[in-house]
Amino acid sequence: MFKGSVHFNDPAGNSVKQYLAAHGAVFNATTSYDRTHYYATLGTQSLEGYVAIEADRMRNLWLHDADKQAEMTVVRNEFERGKNNPNNVLHEEVQAAAFMAYPYHHSVIGWKSDIEKVSVEQLRSFYDTFYWPNNATVSIVGDIEPAVALALVMKYYGGIPRSPHPIPEVVTEEPEQTGARRVTVNKPGQLGSVEIAYKVPSALQADLPALEVLGEVLSNGKNSRLYRTLVDEDLALEAGAGVESLRAAGIFVVTADLSPGAAHEKVEQIMLAQIEKIKSEGVSADEVNQVIHQYRAEQAYGRDGTDAVISDLNEWISAGDWTQYIRYPDSIARVTPADVQRVARQYLAVNQSTTGWYVPETSK
Amino acid sequence: MIISTSNHFFGSIRFGGCISVGVLMIMASISHAADISKRIVRTSIAGIDVIAYPTDIKDVVTIAGALPAGDALATDNIAIASLTGMMLDKGTESMDKFAVAKQLDQVGAQLHFRVGEQALSIRARSLKADLPLVLRIMADELRHPALSAGEFAKAKIEFSGSVQQRTDGTEYRAAEAFSRAVFPAGHPNRQPSIDEWHSAIDNASMAEMKKFHEQFYGPAHMVLVLVGDLDIPKIKAEIKKDFGGWSGGLPYRSAPKATASNTPVDHVVFLAAKTSVTVLAGEATGLQFRDSDSLPLRVGMAIFGSGFTSRLMSTVRDKEGLTYHIGASIADDTFNDGDWRINATFAPSLLDKGMASTQRELQRWWKDGVTLPELEARKNDLIGSFQVGLATTDGMAGTLLSTAQRGLPLSWVDDYPRSVEAVTLDQVNGAIRRYVDPGKLVIIRAGSVGDDAAASR
Repeated sequence: MFKGSVHFNDPAGNSVKQYLAAHGAVFNATTSYDRTHYYATLGTQSLEGYVAIEADRMRNLWLHDADKQAEMTVVRNEFERGKNNPNNVLHEEVQAAAFMAYPYHHSVIGWKSDIEKVSVEQLRSFYDTFYWPNNATVSIVGDIEPAVALALVMKYYGGIPRSPHPIPEVVTEEPEQTGARRVTVNKPGQLGSVEIAYKVPSALQADLPALEVLGEVLSNGKNSRLYRTLVDEDLALEAGAGVESLRAAGIFVVTADLSPGAAHEKVEQIMLAQIEKIKSEGVSADEVNQVIHQYRAEQAYGRDGTDAVISDLNEWISAGDWTQYIRYPDSIARVTPADVQRVARQYLAVNQSTTGWYVPETSK
Repeated sequence: MIISTSNHFFGSIRFGGCISVGVLMIMASISHAADISKRIVRTSIAGIDVIAYPTDIKDVVTIAGALPAGDALATDNIAIASLTGMMLDKGTESMDKFAVAKQLDQVGAQLHFRVGEQALSIRARSLKADLPLVLRIMADELRHPALSAGEFAKAKIEFSGSVQQRTDGTEYRAAEAFSRAVFPAGHPNRQPSIDEWHSAIDNASMAEMKKFHEQFYGPAHMVLVLVGDLDIPKIKAEIKKDFGGWSGGLPYRSAPKATASNTPVDHVVFLAAKTSVTVLAGEATGLQFRDSDSLPLRVGMAIFGSGFTSRLMSTVRDKEGLTYHIGASIADDTFNDGDWRINATFAPSLLDKGMASTQRELQRWWKDGVTLPELEARKNDLIGSFQVGLATTDGMAGTLLSTAQRGLPLSWVDDYPRSVEAVTLDQVNGAIRRYVDPGKLVIIRAGSVGDDAAASR
């Protein structure tokens, strides 16, 4: 998508990179499980030129085999850089084990052999399937009158037709998990880590706010349960918990980076014990209220700059309902201690878990 | 560009090929660059250099601060500065760490300390109503940390573990080796080795830590920048109340300039089973940020290695496909002379090709210089991205802090676009020839160098 389109490209001196750099923009693109987004933060006076380029590359992209060849090794190096990080490797293996059938089984960047062997015809097919206006949302945030922004989008995207075929939906359903799963990663390294994942509902489901509060109670700050039992006891350098909510499903992940000398078994037992304690005894109103206040403050911080606003908004668009950008804070504020205990009981069952250990082989 | 979220409108509509369009209008007051310094309030309160910049954002205040208490100042035991910094949020004389954290967490306020080469950095963020609480806790943690034996023992374990964790990272190991090859012993930018860290942590004592805190923690050279929804008279009163009566503090450490190596260095840090090699290549510049040749060299370096349109990215990545990331920049020149460096990653099997391409581009840039069209395009990029960076409270606070730390007047923020515009082609190409010498390059490669099969497992 950065190799040029019919009307905007390097030889013409007006490619997306050249245009945005010449206008002092901060720009890039990211891919995730459900969506790809292209973004730029730039002065209002430069917006029209950027909209024109984005509209052109939606349907007029250059897809040359020579460009694909050069880009393959670029993306492979991105993949290789990710593999340098032990926790990335562990998380990919845990997620691949947790999801057997649904496409979330695959990491976002894909497998090395797929990167190396994908053909330009396959890229063309993907592009022609998904890059259509009826499968896209343009978001514009900043110092601009809505009517002006909408007119710009109409001007450049208005002539692009709908896709000739319906945008395909994923029909695969994840089968029911029939027992606890485990993975172990052995690679040269220094310190171990443990990750426990549980499949949870998709981003728009009603239990997500309570699961998000549960993650914060477990891991946010020095008074969190995992800090007190793992980090403060010198068993972990860091511990985390949270829900990764996606369009079709999510996972609730609990992690710990082991301190020198700490045993995987002991750390895992403590992580599980803390979850069981919440299931049996619940959480306090103080704990929940604290998370709600923190979330309110985070909402204010999240309005600090257009890029913060648009990245948050985009994730809700990807999840399927942009109005959650406005409504979700109220959903968090309505979470009760009973909700947190209920979702812990409902979703964090051992026989629905996938546990991963990173066990380093000593190297120098 | 200063942005307010006081009024906003969200519209959503579908048209054309049914694309969805969302427009969130944020009423923004565009501050032209020349307006910034006029709105800054700078004053000394209780000996602290306080810089306040009010913006139109509602309810949010961001703080960036620093004082000289970094690793380079701990000359007896190199681990003491970091260990002292780690103790700040581990309780005060009047509250344990859980009580302190609870006060901040209950209102969603953030307060963090980080020890760098020269400075203890302070970052905080809160809602406007909670700023007095944040300032009070910040002052208590800086002035009256508990410094208990139990927490000190925990800090040593945590620090030792984090050093051990870094041992396996190609980026950290490349940076460590690069700084040790470029800067002589005793230079503030020279990083300790992994073994030196472990030895220092093992030997660190409570007495050394308490002595370091007493010597270096004070208002004398501390800068505190506040940006956002500010009630400035109230903030002044709070700072005076919380920090009044505090004394002490020593300046940042200056050191003789490092000189470029007389002979090239090519060093490998081997790490097993790494699928990507990190490369750092560069030299000492002998320049500080505020030196007159610094800006022309920075502009030339940006043409060479900053962003997607730089020479390195457009050739080594885009045309030849040899790397995901390659860039070039100037670093570590805030308090003393710094370095310039190329930073890249390559698959072990493409390392030789990648290095050859990088060297070719370096030679071309150094020998032929940059062109006038490149210079003009880069000026727009530098000015525009600088202004985008000032559009958040965090970006503005960080810029004002670094401006003060560099010993520059705050009007530099207004002057920067004009300074960039004024840079000439001769200045840029002259600076490249004066401060870069490809024949004396220090090259560090960290990863599974020469072990392609193991790296691809």
